[in-house]
Amino acid sequence: MSTRAISNMWTLMRRELWESPGAFKWAPIIILGLILFFIVFGLILGSRFDNEMAFTLDAIRQFADVPEDQKRLFVTGALFAVSGLFLQLLILVLLFYLSSCLYDERKDRSILFWKSLPISDSMTVGSKVLTAWLLAPAIYLLAAIVTQLLVLLIASGYGLMAGINPITEFWLPASLPRLWLVMALGLLVQGLWLMPIYAWLVFCSSWAPRVPILVAVAVPAAISLLQHAWSMLSSFSLPQFNLGRIVLERLGSGLIPSNIGWQVESRNGQVDMGDVTFSEDVFMSFSNSLDFLLRPGMWIGLLIALALLAGAVWFRRRATDT
Amino acid sequence: MSLTIHARDLKRYYGNNRAVDGIDLEIPSGRIVGLIGPNGAGKTTALKAILGLTGYSGELEVLGRKPDKDRDRLMEDVCFIADVAVLPRWARVWQVIEMTERLHPRFSRERCMHYLKNTKVKPKTKVKALSKGMVVQLHLALVMAIDAKLLVLDEPTLGLDILFRKRFYSNLLNEYFDEERTILITTHQVEEVEHILTDLLFIKDGKLVVNATMDAVHERYREVMVKPDHVEEARAMNPLHERVLFGRHIFLFDGGDIDRLNEIGELHRPSVADLFVALMGEEYEDNAGAEEAA
Repeated sequence: MSTRAISNMWTLMRRELWESPGAFKWAPIIILGLILFFIVFGLILGSRFDNEMAFTLDAIRQFADVPEDQKRLFVTGALFAVSGLFLQLLILVLLFYLSSCLYDERKDRSILFWKSLPISDSMTVGSKVLTAWLLAPAIYLLAAIVTQLLVLLIASGYGLMAGINPITEFWLPASLPRLWLVMALGLLVQGLWLMPIYAWLVFCSSWAPRVPILVAVAVPAAISLLQHAWSMLSSFSLPQFNLGRIVLERLGSGLIPSNIGWQVESRNGQVDMGDVTFSEDVFMSFSNSLDFLLRPGMWIGLLIALALLAGAVWFRRRATDT
Repeated sequence: MSLTIHARDLKRYYGNNRAVDGIDLEIPSGRIVGLIGPNGAGKTTALKAILGLTGYSGELEVLGRKPDKDRDRLMEDVCFIADVAVLPRWARVWQVIEMTERLHPRFSRERCMHYLKNTKVKPKTKVKALSKGMVVQLHLALVMAIDAKLLVLDEPTLGLDILFRKRFYSNLLNEYFDEERTILITTHQVEEVEHILTDLLFIKDGKLVVNATMDAVHERYREVMVKPDHVEEARAMNPLHERVLFGRHIFLFDGGDIDRLNEIGELHRPSVADLFVALMGEEYEDNAGAEEAA
């Protein structure tokens, strides 16, 4: 890509942020505020039952005595848990954002303005996808990082009151750079893993006559219902291959941090948690994310995504205000 | 002379509806062309084909490019104002300006600010909070700040007051237009643009009925206010149209013997609006009659 193409792409992606400040600015800020509110509220509430915070400080002192690896597990686990809300919300926000990204401009006719600029349709579609894959996750990750730092600061205050060294007891076990890198990589891989779903939403928003998100949900839902009905009628069994299940499995198996590394096999309706060992590896390992890249499903999904995006570009080229 | 628009047998059908039905067009640079036609005659469809916003069949080249294949490159040299309401409503004025500046290589922020200086459009306002006239002012400032070779205006002054419309066209003519550029306008307010046009296109049922320079139009069509005692004679001379104004009979002729016409009455240049009524009006009169009968 030439420098002009890169700068155009960046402008188009900034445009997405301008267009949806609710999704990309206010939502993370509000979540950040809510998390801090509940932490502070909880601490205040706790201090009313805990005379002179004896229990709290005692617990902190005890925490300082546990072995290093458990300390790491606890601190990083807690920080991951704090970021969880951001990452779940990100997926939800992206589903709505992508399903309307090529629809709103048709609805309010501003497509005529955008098409009067020397920007190709593939560039436009690309800017929406890159916003969902890179820019939005970066914003939410930043918000999660800020939250983690604030939580650590609060914890440090309590640590000082308890007479322990917050640097060695909280900050170092948190192994922040590694934590952030794991989260960043996880988000990147997650974006690729969910790309066929993202691309489907973009595709629907490029042609749906109205309420693209309903269309995007209704079409696969109807297909999987038909598959069910057909399979029940023809062989009186549940279908081997069902679109709805594939989509839900993909959505469910791609979220970080909650289930990276938890390969919960649900065949035969049995959930086998036996081999899930709750260790640092569950969320602090790069290989969990990289493993996704080795799955054939990842690459099949990306091919499907590519086809759907090509379809979206085709429709964008033909779309006008009517 | 380089051609801005070249079309040969340009067609666009929507099912059975022949929106554009075989248009031949050669527009050189340095022209202001009025594309005039009744509702549903195919004006907007023709413009959309020229702008690469719709598919078509037949030959079409705009500034040497094929609009349906090459819209993004074409837009470096072409600007258009579709009609008033297409700027993104969620954006603030400064955001629209900044996006255009960053995305359009021929945009000059300085010029844009110059055009906006005397308006009430403020950078921090959201587009949805601007009045209709202010949105047009903003859009026009954006477009005039782009150093384009072809400017397409589709009903640019729809719903605006007369002061604004006058200023709009004088800006366009005095500050924007030159020999290098071409402007293509469609509008229903023919009388407002006819003084600035160099070329006239009448479109009806997807076909061009008139395709000539204004000079040629004035050369060819003559309006005669006929003296009462010559009315029968004038009718015998095969006029295109006859109307009565304050008891005077006004005839429109295609060509005709100038000396003879001078004898039977006063010769005028027909206005584009009168020409439009004469050439395209039959159906309307028929329809009106049918409606009255019903």
